[in-house]
Amino acid sequence: MRALVIDDSRAMRRIVSGTLEGFGYETRQAGHGQEALDVLHEGWLPELCTIDWNMPVMDGLQFVSAVRANPGWRAVTLMMVTSEGEQSQIVRALAAGAHEYVLKPFTADAIRDKLALLGLLPQEVAL
Amino acid sequence: MTAPVITQLLDEATVQEIADQAWSALVGEDEVLVPVPGELGPDTRSSWVEIVGPWSGTVVLTCDRDTAEELTRALLREHAPAELEPEDVDDALGELANVVGGNVKAVLPGPSFLGLPEVGPAPRVTSPADTCRVDALWRGRPLTISVQGTPAPDADPAPSYENGVPL
Repeated sequence: MRALVIDDSRAMRRIVSGTLEGFGYETRQAGHGQEALDVLHEGWLPELCTIDWNMPVMDGLQFVSAVRANPGWRAVTLMMVTSEGEQSQIVRALAAGAHEYVLKPFTADAIRDKLALLGLLPQEVAL
Repeated sequence: MTAPVITQLLDEATVQEIADQAWSALVGEDEVLVPVPGELGPDTRSSWVEIVGPWSGTVVLTCDRDTAEELTRALLREHAPAELEPEDVDDALGELANVVGGNVKAVLPGPSFLGLPEVGPAPRVTSPADTCRVDALWRGRPLTISVQGTPAPDADPAPSYENGVPL
């Protein structure tokens, strides 16, 4: 399985990528929404995108809206991984088309549980 | 209507709890912030995020530069490069401020806007009465987390200092 990790923090990209790679994912990284869209336009379509909210150039909400506006990317699962914990923001992200929402700070177990809910945990990890 | 000051909205225990959660999840499961004040050295680094809403201000994390490097290594764990670049340290420190700031914002009245993390010399405390500060030790090294208000552009700064509690 493939995952695109989108966060303006290099440290956070490394942490999230490392966690997902531990679950068997092949990962790529993007520093903001536009860079992530460029990856998708290249044709590298992941099963999962993890998306920070506050980023320069294009924020996470704009990215979610852009992905949802493209029928060719309908199969991509979008998971917000962000410190934006306000209830109204969570509702906005889900309404825009995000499938799941993980609050920073998170643990590897929290990511694992969300992936299991989404059916995106490789079987050998789920066992 | 007068904007609230931060001490009306949250207390030090809440800031400490938010920081504890951030430390345990990001820095390491067994990493603790001991709520004991320590003395910062002359060479400090700060990171902060701005919150704009019914209460506006910044959430500032300040520590000594070598503490910032150790924090970065702890945060990145096995993903840390052999040689840390200054950008790695700024990025890690900024992300810690971002996570603490985002969770502080979540307990404040909304809607509020959270800015992008910035790193540099600590922003000045403009109103001690509108500041909630936690001093702590991490691995015996001092650091501070300060939630400090920004005066409204048209506000008269004088009232903010009435009954102000010196830091």
